[in-house]
Amino acid sequence: MVDMKVVVADDSRVMRQIVIRTLRQAGYDWWEIEEAENGADALGKIRASKPDFVLSDWNMPEMTGIEVLRSLRGEGNETPFAFVTSEGSEAMRDQAEKAGALFLISKPFTADIFRDTIDPFIS
Amino acid sequence: MTIPDTWEPLTDLDPILTIAQDLFTTMVDGEPGHLYPWMGEEPTLDDARYTWVDVSGPVVTRVMLMAGRETGEHLTRALLAMGEDESVNDADFADAVGELANVVGGNVKSLVTNPGTLTLPVVTHEAPDMAGGTKLIETYFGWKGAPLGVALWALA
Repeated sequence: MVDMKVVVADDSRVMRQIVIRTLRQAGYDWWEIEEAENGADALGKIRASKPDFVLSDWNMPEMTGIEVLRSLRGEGNETPFAFVTSEGSEAMRDQAEKAGALFLISKPFTADIFRDTIDPFIS
Repeated sequence: MTIPDTWEPLTDLDPILTIAQDLFTTMVDGEPGHLYPWMGEEPTLDDARYTWVDVSGPVVTRVMLMAGRETGEHLTRALLAMGEDESVNDADFADAVGELANVVGGNVKSLVTNPGTLTLPVVTHEAPDMAGGTKLIETYFGWKGAPLGVALWALA
């Protein structure tokens, strides 16, 4: 199995733990996960460690998730990027897609939702 | 489900019950059936904590959770997969109940057309000043035998 470096960004330590636990339950226990505690932290870690994938909250201090994504794309960084957020409206999904996100998972979520959403992109 | 322009339809409690039960089923309890509508008189919260997020817009809407400290500690342990005998510090407590309010607030926001942004959660020991605001909904659920309140306010 190939190595897979993933950044999980959320300002809530509780939610980062839940996301990581749910990823493990969904079968992604082989992922090497780095945590980021706000948007600016995420941007720095993505630039430094060049992950294969980013799972980010939307509403965070310092920089929001969508600002992180737009910054990355603005500097030509095409790291695959997706959102895990409490807001799942069509308007936000449209914003995410237009900014270049792969998908948006809304909270609350289950391991089945993670697997069904993420698997097509992993393969 | 999309509710156009006004909070008025949310005086129907069903969406709040659905949001709260989905949240507890998937992220707190791992199975359905542990969160239920509170029956009987309005409960008294022991050592209450108030946690809220605001949805900005033409009218600021506040989504607030209300729970006793002990109930909040049980919730924190459940979310962090802690043992029942582990102590809960203030930072983890605020993070856990704040995230619950954030998820409820985000889902409530998704029911409304043209909402603004969602603020980060705030946790206090005293009820926030809602003077001039209008209470749209206040309801209580039972979880592990203790009451857990959810309120929606339209702020002036």
